[in-house]
Amino acid sequence: MALGYLYKTDETPISSIAMSRRFLVVPSLVLVFSLFAVSCSESSDPESLSGVAAQIYAGECAEQSGNEVVIYSGRTENLIEPVLDAFACETGVPVAVRWGASTDLALLVEADGDRTEADVFLSRSPGPVGFLESRDLLGEIDSDVLDLVSPENRSGSNTWVGFSGRKRVLVYNVDQLETGELPASVFELTDEKWRGKVGIPATNGSFVDWFTVFRDVHGDDVATEWLDDMVANDADLYSNNRSIVEAAGRGEIDVGLVNHYYNYQEVAAAGETHRALNHDFADDDIGSLLIITAATVLKSTDAPDEAAQLLRYLLSAPVQQYFTDETFEYPLAAGVEANSTLPPLTALEIGSVDFDALGGGFATTNDIIEASGILDS
Amino acid sequence: MSMTPRSAPVGLRLLGGVVALLFSGPALYLLWRNFDESADPFGLLGSAPTLEPLGRTLQLAVAVSVSAALLGTFLAWISIRTDVPGARIWRVLLPIPLVFPTFLGAAAFIRTLSPGGLVSDLSAEVGVDLTRDIRGFSGAWLVLTLFTYPYVYLPVAARLRQLPGSLEESARVLGDSPTMTFRRIVMPQIASSVMAGSVLVFLYTISDFGAVQLMRYDTLTRAIHTNHLARPPVALALSLILLVLALVVVVGERIASKRLVAVTTNRAQRPMIYRLGRGRWVSWGVVSAVFSLAVIAPLATLTDWAWDGLRRSSTGGRSLTIDSDKVIESSVNTLQVSVIAAVVAVLAVLPVAFLVGRYRSKVGSWSHVVVVSTFALPGILIALALTYWVRSSSTANDLFAGTMLLLIFGLVVRFGSLALGVTLDAVRAVPGGFHDAAATLGAGKLRRFRTIDLPIMGPGLLAGGGLVLLSVMKELPITLLVAPLGFPTLTTRIFQSFEDAFVAEAGIMAVVLVAMSSLLSWFLVIRRADHL
Repeated sequence: MALGYLYKTDETPISSIAMSRRFLVVPSLVLVFSLFAVSCSESSDPESLSGVAAQIYAGECAEQSGNEVVIYSGRTENLIEPVLDAFACETGVPVAVRWGASTDLALLVEADGDRTEADVFLSRSPGPVGFLESRDLLGEIDSDVLDLVSPENRSGSNTWVGFSGRKRVLVYNVDQLETGELPASVFELTDEKWRGKVGIPATNGSFVDWFTVFRDVHGDDVATEWLDDMVANDADLYSNNRSIVEAAGRGEIDVGLVNHYYNYQEVAAAGETHRALNHDFADDDIGSLLIITAATVLKSTDAPDEAAQLLRYLLSAPVQQYFTDETFEYPLAAGVEANSTLPPLTALEIGSVDFDALGGGFATTNDIIEASGILDS
Repeated sequence: MSMTPRSAPVGLRLLGGVVALLFSGPALYLLWRNFDESADPFGLLGSAPTLEPLGRTLQLAVAVSVSAALLGTFLAWISIRTDVPGARIWRVLLPIPLVFPTFLGAAAFIRTLSPGGLVSDLSAEVGVDLTRDIRGFSGAWLVLTLFTYPYVYLPVAARLRQLPGSLEESARVLGDSPTMTFRRIVMPQIASSVMAGSVLVFLYTISDFGAVQLMRYDTLTRAIHTNHLARPPVALALSLILLVLALVVVVGERIASKRLVAVTTNRAQRPMIYRLGRGRWVSWGVVSAVFSLAVIAPLATLTDWAWDGLRRSSTGGRSLTIDSDKVIESSVNTLQVSVIAAVVAVLAVLPVAFLVGRYRSKVGSWSHVVVVSTFALPGILIALALTYWVRSSSTANDLFAGTMLLLIFGLVVRFGSLALGVTLDAVRAVPGGFHDAAATLGAGKLRRFRTIDLPIMGPGLLAGGGLVLLSVMKELPITLLVAPLGFPTLTTRIFQSFEDAFVAEAGIMAVVLVAMSSLLSWFLVIRRADHL
C-alpha cells in the first residue's frame, strides 16, 4: 500500500524539487542584491553641506575625528537631521543617531542601564526627561552651557537644558468660528457654549505635561474640577496634537487644545485648503504655557566633552534661527528673535514647564485623567 | 497504512527546547521585572482601571477574530474554489492589506471617510452622504478586521487548494446541496486552519497599539503606554496580564484543535471548482468591495498625500524633507531585513513544527505555546526585553548590542508565530507512508528530508516566510529601538514623517512600501506557491 502510494504519486516530489530550486533562487538573489547595495551605500564624508543644512553652516566640513556622540532623538529626523549634519560638518565630531518617540527612547535608555550607547537624549516633551531623572540616569551639564538659556528654561539640578519651545494654543476651524467668539481662557471651555465642540489629546505627552503644570499652578482641586467639567461638557478625546489639528481643519470639532507647532506644519503643507488656525489664550492664562524640548547628557556617557559641544551648538544663533524659521518653534537662546509669523511670546512670564516640580507628579496626573472618564468617551 | 508513532530524535527535541527558550525571553523579562519592581498584577486585576480596558480588549479581540475568520474563510473559498471573475488576480491581491502598518492604515482610513476626505467628497458629488465618524469600538473593529483577515485567508486558501475534490464530488453525487457539502465535508477539513488563523488575529488585536490609539478605543495596550513612564510597575503588571490572556487563548486552541478530524491531502487531484452561475458577479462585487475598503481606500489617501507633496515641491512650495537617496536607502534596508528575518523565522520554527506535526512531542507542545503566545506582546516590550537581557551581561553586550543579528532575532521572536502555523500545516501535509517506504528502500534521514519533506513542504514554507516578510516590512518599534544605529527602514521613516505632520513624505514612502510588498508577495509567495 505504501509502496503503491509512493509509486502512484512519484511525479509530485520530483517536479516539486525542480520547483523548490526555483523557489530558492529568487530569495537568494534578493539577499545578495540587498547585501551588495548596502555595502555600496556607505558614503564618504561630505566636503560641504547642501540643502537646509547649508543654511546653518555653509563652510567646508572639518575632518571627522575623536569620540563619536550617540544621540537618542525624540525629535524627528525630518526636523533635526539638518542641525546634526551641520554640527558634524562644522566641528568634525562624528554623530550617530537613533530616532524614535521620546517615550520609547526613554524606556530604552532605562532598559540599557549603565551600558547605554547613548550620550545625549533629545526629548520632544518634558515627561520622558523627568522619568530618566527619577531613575537617576542623567548626568550634570556644564554651567557654561546651562547659562546660555534663562533660568526658567533649564533644570535646577543641572540635568537638562531647553533648546526650543512650543506654545499651547487653541486650534479652531475658521469656517465655524469668528475670532471674536474665541475664549480668553481655558476655563471658558467648560461653558455650555462649547458642549461637544472641544478636542483634547488627554493621553498625549505634551498634554499630560501641561496638565501637570496646571495642577502645580492652580492646585489639584481646581485642575481636577476643570477636567471633570470638560468631560461633562462632552469634550472629545484624540490621540495626539496632530489628529486634533486635522479634525479641526475638516470641521469635525470646532476647537482643540494643542501645541502651536502642528497647525504651522499643516498650513505649510496644505495652504488655504487647511481650514484651521491657532488662537492664543490670554498671556497670563495657563492655556498659554510654553512647553520646551530638552537636551540631556546621560550619566554614563563616554564622550562628555563632545556631548557638551553638541548642546552648545543646539543653542547657537544659526541653529536657534533654524528652529524658528524652519520648524516654527520659539528660540530660547543666543538672543534670536522668534519668526515674525509666530505670535509674540509674553507667555514666558508665567514660566515654562518646571521639570523638577513635575518629577513625581505624573502618576497623580494620570490618576486624575483616568478618573475623569475622558478615556471612556 | 498510518505512520508508526515514534518518539522524536533527541537532537530535534533539544533544538525545540532551545527555540522555546529563546522565544521566552520577553516573558521571562516581564516576570523578572514584575518581581523586581514589586508590581502587583493580582491586585491590579481587581481594580476598575484594569478591568475596564481588559474587558474592552477582550470584546475587541473576540469581535475582530470572529469577523476576520468569516471574511478570510469566505474570501479564500471564493477565490480558490469558485469561478469568480478574476480568481487568479484576487489570489495575488487579497493578502495585500497585511502590509499596511496599522497606525498609518487607520489614519488614512479616518482621512478617507471623514468630512473633506476622498470618499465624502466623491459621495457628496453624487448627493449621498457617506461621511462616517469612525472611531471607538466600531472604528477599531473595522480597521483591524480589514487589516488582519489575511492571517485567516492565507492558511485557509492553502488548505482549500490541497483538499481532494473526490470527497466533495461524492457528497454532491449522493445528493448533498453545495451548502451541506461545505458544512459536512469542507468545514471539518479547514477548521484547524481557520482556528489557527483566528488565534493569530486575536493575538495581533490584543497587541495592537496603532489602530486602537487612533480610533480612540481604550484597551490594555493604551493603558500600558500611558503608564510606562508614570507608573512603570503598573505597566509591567498590565503587560503580564496581557501575556497570561494570550497563554489561555493559545492553550485553549491547542486543546480544541486536538478534537478536530485529521486533515487529508492529495496534491495529485485538482480541487473541485464550483460554478456560481449568476452569483459570479455578486461574489465579484463583494470581493471588490472588501478590497476597495481594505486597500484602495487607504492607498488612495496615501497617494493623494504623496501627489500633493510632489506637486508642491515642484511648483516652488515647501520642499520635501526626503530625497530619492533616502527613499532608496530605506527601501534597500527594508528589503534586506525582511528577507533575512523571513528565512530565519521559517528555519527557527521548523524544528517546533516537526515536533508537533510528526511526533506529537511534549517539548513540541510547549515550544508551540511559547512561540505563538509571544505574538500577543507589543513590539516595544520585545525590544525592551531584548535590550534588557543583552545589556545585563557584558559578554552579550559586546557581542550583540546594536548588531543586525539582534534586530533579526527580535523580529523573528515577534513574528515567528506567523510562520509556525503554515509550517505546521506543511509538515502535516507530508504523508507518513512516504517516509516508511523511503526508509524501507534504504534512504537515510537527511536524504528523506531533502527528497520528500522539502519538496512537499516547499510551498507551505514559502507562504510562512511570506507572512513574516510582509509583517517585518511594516514593523516599527523593534526596528526603531534595536536596529544598528543609522539603519532607517521605510516604516521608521514613515512613522517619523507622520508624527510631525509631514504627510507628503509619509505618503510617498507608504506608496513605495505597498508597491514593494505587493511585488514581493507576488514573486516570492503567490506566483510560485502553486497551492495558493
